[in-house]
Amino acid sequence: MRLVILLAACIAATAAAQDKVAVGIVTSLTGPMAPPGKFQMNGFNLAAEEINGAGGITVGGRKYMVDLKVYDTRANPAEGASAMQRLATVDKVPVVLGELHSGVAGAEAPVAQDYGVPLILTVPTGPNLTEQGNRFLFRVNASNDQLNLALVDFIQKQGWAPLSFIAWNNDAGRGGVNGMKKLLGDAKTGYVGYFNVGEVDFSSHVSNIRASNARAVMLFMDEEPGSLAIKQLRDAGLKTQLIGTLAMGSDRFLKRLDADRLAGMVQYNAFPPNADTPRIRSFSERYKKKFGEEAHGFAAQSYDGLMMAAAAMQKAGTVSDGKKLRDALAGLEHDGVIGRIRFDAKGQANPPVYVTQWCANGMRRILYPESLKADCGAG
Amino acid sequence: MAAALLEQVINGAMTGSVYVLVALGMVLIYGVMHVLNFAHGVLFMLGGYLCHFFLTRLTGNYALAVLLTMAALAVVGAMLERGVFRPLQGNLRNQVIASLGLILALENLAVALWGPNALQIKVPATERLVALGELRFPLQHLLIIGVTAAVVAAMFVFLKWSKFGTALRATSQDRNAARVVGIPVERMDVASFALGTALAALGGALVGPLFLVFPQMGDAPMVKGLAGILLGGMGSVPGAVVGGLIIGIAESVSTLFLPTDYRDSVAFAIMVLILLARPRGLFGVRARGEP
Repeated sequence: MRLVILLAACIAATAAAQDKVAVGIVTSLTGPMAPPGKFQMNGFNLAAEEINGAGGITVGGRKYMVDLKVYDTRANPAEGASAMQRLATVDKVPVVLGELHSGVAGAEAPVAQDYGVPLILTVPTGPNLTEQGNRFLFRVNASNDQLNLALVDFIQKQGWAPLSFIAWNNDAGRGGVNGMKKLLGDAKTGYVGYFNVGEVDFSSHVSNIRASNARAVMLFMDEEPGSLAIKQLRDAGLKTQLIGTLAMGSDRFLKRLDADRLAGMVQYNAFPPNADTPRIRSFSERYKKKFGEEAHGFAAQSYDGLMMAAAAMQKAGTVSDGKKLRDALAGLEHDGVIGRIRFDAKGQANPPVYVTQWCANGMRRILYPESLKADCGAG
Repeated sequence: MAAALLEQVINGAMTGSVYVLVALGMVLIYGVMHVLNFAHGVLFMLGGYLCHFFLTRLTGNYALAVLLTMAALAVVGAMLERGVFRPLQGNLRNQVIASLGLILALENLAVALWGPNALQIKVPATERLVALGELRFPLQHLLIIGVTAAVVAAMFVFLKWSKFGTALRATSQDRNAARVVGIPVERMDVASFALGTALAALGGALVGPLFLVFPQMGDAPMVKGLAGILLGGMGSVPGAVVGGLIIGIAESVSTLFLPTDYRDSVAFAIMVLILLARPRGLFGVRARGEP
């Protein structure tokens, strides 16, 4: 009897949700990656709201509202794999987006392949993710290899050698350091120090960097450790050139520190929120209106990811067939907020990479690529 | 090199001081109640959050905020003793499980109340830099060392010469004998928990302005503080002080010779080596009844 009621309830639920398409989201709502996870969710929420506000996705003459089915993977590979499985088998979503952590994405990707559900990554940068021959894996954002290539090109033009590193003792940090060392050569590499996620005391790195006479220090980390490392380096009196990741090029980051400590620092960036480009300006305005803060690269990448998933569903004419969606995604060309997005044969997009610099007045300028160079206030 | 060594010794003395504050609290509780409170790290973390709260919402005065934090967490500690650990007295396994459960509960409570983002405690007065030769340190850095030294001295005086401190020591030596001479041992339990928790809170409130306040901020100090206790000798107050400082300074100085990712390994390797030579730790004594 109970089973019958349950079945009836299920049927009723599907009937009510007929005009909805559930899209799977894997992200970090809690745990160490929760702060970047918020930017990612902001991007997805904004995209879903805009899609639904414009009447939803039209597939086969019917309108479908986008409904985000969000799972918290907490930077934990096991949670990621089980969330992915649940999305594929229980929630039966046609496509999954998100993830922040390369290690967790590595655990989710094989599950996506097994169940034939495309997984679109919007933040993880581990280069090997798109090297596994997984046809169901796509990545909107630039990988570490792409980011490093641009950054090393810039650093070499500046003649900043030797270059020291303080990096996360994980895939992102170690992978980043190794990638850059390979491009720079050992002769141009100075001190390399790793720290574990959650460590806050960088004093030992400061001593070592002072002793190594480094011309510049690359900080492979995100906002929170980044602000501590910079504070500790500058408080100890080091004048070394600072180079950061995209987490360190935002107004939020400025608020954690001050313009004095940041002045002159450069960082690679996937998305300069103040750039004088119509697509970026418009996105930044809409984002600010909804969330009351400066737009973030993770949000822009995630926004573009969901927009692409929606476009792929319309193009493939399905809201349930993952395999058709995969083929549609593979051939899709999308004018996104971060730039023109097209996946290569490995599922990797090639969006532009910027280098921005902090000005003394707390604004940012764009230094790289040369063609998009712009002065303080544009970055 | 000499400057770098001095810098690392001072850095180590600071981290070591934090470990000492955590270790002292755990040793007090262990001595009196024979409970290893694994939730001590999250109480440390609550100290950071409460200090932020008191500073930004109530007083605006850092020193006052620190004192309020200690008082508030002393009450929390007393409540934990009453509500969690006393009902489980005599069952070590359940007490350990309860303290592990407290970690989950309190860490998620912090996330629920203050969100997952790290908070900053801004204290302009202690952000000032103090020059020591060619080295510069934020005043807060030196403040942590100074306050810890003062607290350690006060603890020794309190335990050695005050009537209450003597009663605490008596309870930790022999519960039944203490009861026979009229010491209210249950009140000693509450007192040790309140005092130990207040010390953890002091640690969190002192570290907050130098670094950040975040849900996992107590994890490392708890583990290192525990290593300090084991190294110094279970239940020994001087052992906790010396042990915490040894761990702090050794791991900092090691980074001059070894890659920084070996820092934790160095701390625990030293602990293992000392325990091999002295199985009861540096100051450990054989407890009555132990083989």
